[in-house]
Amino acid sequence: MNTFAKLALVSSLTLGIVTMASAHEGECPYCKLKLVQNTKDQDNEVVVKFGNKRIEYRCVWCVVKDAGRYKNDLVVYAPSEKVGEPVVLKRTDGKWSAPANTVFLNTFKKHVDCCAQARAFATKDGFDKYVAAQKLDGAKPYSLDEFVTMVAKPDKGGQ
Amino acid sequence: MIFALLLAQQNPWPVWLDSPTADRLFYKSAPYNWNIDRIPAFARDMYATGVGHAMAYEALVRGQAATLETKTFRDIDWVLHHPPKFPVDEGAISPTFGRRYGALEKVFDWAHTLHFQVIDVFMHPGWTDQQKEQEVDRLWVNYKSQPYAITGLPMNMELLDSQPYSGYFRSHYPKVNALFWGYHWLQTVNYDMLFRVSTKDQASQYPFVFDQYHKTELYKTDRPFMPMTAEQSPRFAKRFPEIANSFDNLHMLHDNVNDILASPGMSNLERDRQVKIAIARVLESQHATEFSGGGEPKTLHDHRHPDGLPGMGMMKGADEHSMYMAGMGWMDMATCSHCSIPLNDGPLWGATVSADGWTMSVRCPMCARDMASETPGRAIIRAATEDPNRVLILISDDEGNWTSNIPGVMFLEKFGEHPSCSEWSRAFTSLEALKRFQSTSAEYKDATPLNLVEWSKLNHGKPDTYRRIDKPNPYGNGDAR
Repeated sequence: MNTFAKLALVSSLTLGIVTMASAHEGECPYCKLKLVQNTKDQDNEVVVKFGNKRIEYRCVWCVVKDAGRYKNDLVVYAPSEKVGEPVVLKRTDGKWSAPANTVFLNTFKKHVDCCAQARAFATKDGFDKYVAAQKLDGAKPYSLDEFVTMVAKPDKGGQ
Repeated sequence: MIFALLLAQQNPWPVWLDSPTADRLFYKSAPYNWNIDRIPAFARDMYATGVGHAMAYEALVRGQAATLETKTFRDIDWVLHHPPKFPVDEGAISPTFGRRYGALEKVFDWAHTLHFQVIDVFMHPGWTDQQKEQEVDRLWVNYKSQPYAITGLPMNMELLDSQPYSGYFRSHYPKVNALFWGYHWLQTVNYDMLFRVSTKDQASQYPFVFDQYHKTELYKTDRPFMPMTAEQSPRFAKRFPEIANSFDNLHMLHDNVNDILASPGMSNLERDRQVKIAIARVLESQHATEFSGGGEPKTLHDHRHPDGLPGMGMMKGADEHSMYMAGMGWMDMATCSHCSIPLNDGPLWGATVSADGWTMSVRCPMCARDMASETPGRAIIRAATEDPNRVLILISDDEGNWTSNIPGVMFLEKFGEHPSCSEWSRAFTSLEALKRFQSTSAEYKDATPLNLVEWSKLNHGKPDTYRRIDKPNPYGNGDAR
């Protein structure tokens, strides 16, 4: 490593003026809003893998909505109620599947809220705790089939 | 004579701008002329750009602005789908425009000649890269020796685009403006496709460029600003900053002229005057004693440029360390777009990644691959190898499966810290070349050589060194992204 590179590394690690982000100024391929990064307490990054690609989306709703552009089988790592333990969704031969007990939240009206209000949960208990913490009164847990059906309807609207 | 001198004193433009003569300059005589036809689809797309410009200008000067977004757009779009096989004399398509703005056409034509002849040189078979680059240097000298030459100094783009009429055309005629900026995308993106790339490897990239151009770039109405040469062809702009700047200044002149011709409330006399002032702002002769890298900020003589990017003037909101790129956000152009470590110069210059209409510079093949893998759609990587005369060209499909212009390409990738990624991630033209390198390196002698398929499957995700510059979009809502 040359001296300039070392200095750059040290300065980039110590300066507080910038934040960690995806490899480039990340924006969701579907809703075009900025990707939301993981935090210490909550994962937010939704990753779609196929072939040698790994594409980040803003929320699981955007993934399912945009999945039509991909011909391949897909694996989706959707952040769950537990940090570091995503819910793994799959689309195989066009059919979506998810682990048993997976439920979905889907209450956002505009995409600015999609990351917080369109999420997957490994358990109903995790869903309930999240909904209570976020004060999303009246939010219902949806099965995968229900979620996919809802996403297939026209987009919820603007950003 | 006295009258001409008085005129020269009164008007802020050279006397020849008032001359009605039709004197034109043509190609420098050379064996490489019209080599662009070696990639027929590319040549036809380039020839079509002139037709579109001419159609729109003719409509504007004939008072047909009301049909620009409908009939004129359809006419231009038809040409784009049925491009001419030969260069078209724009004067035949826009006679009214030519009569009124003959001097402007001389400036446009001379710059377009430079555009095409640089392409012709890069596509000339049988010449070494060194020969080609020397000839392009000569072309630049030849170009700027003429009065119609546009300056090769970086100009402050924010200033040039802040005239009272600026922005009118793009906001009132977004579809036709998108076509124009799409042309400028093609006219600037092609240089990295050709630069230091063997003629046999140039054509294989054009289908990728063709798709992006025809499906997306021509119809993109949400760009906040015109495509810049150094954004689209960073390797070319680094080697030929003056030419890159002259192309950007030319394209900005196009924008100024569009706005002047489209803006309401100006008499024809005033339009003529404003066009001449706009031309004079960017002429080489008006900046002859000035130099790149200095000048008073945000003036006509502001020739500063971002660090590491002498082939680009200062953009809106930019400073020496960062600039805003549509769809990418704030970037430090002197650092790797993937890992934020400073870019290298010299033989291990790294790579560029082209995807989704953008091209970014990175430090190593791994950064290029991982950055491409995070972007939907096809991609092109152009990367340094151990042979300074062989650029690796990788083209991927939608799934990130890569094909190479070097059949036996091999990779070293002994993952370590990103600040030294350009040392442990390298591309080689053959296994023998990689082993020769390993035999001289104790650190990498045990690393497993990777073929293209093995290398393609790797992915190291987000570099822990990456830092995003968090500043607001200087274009505000102008960038719909």
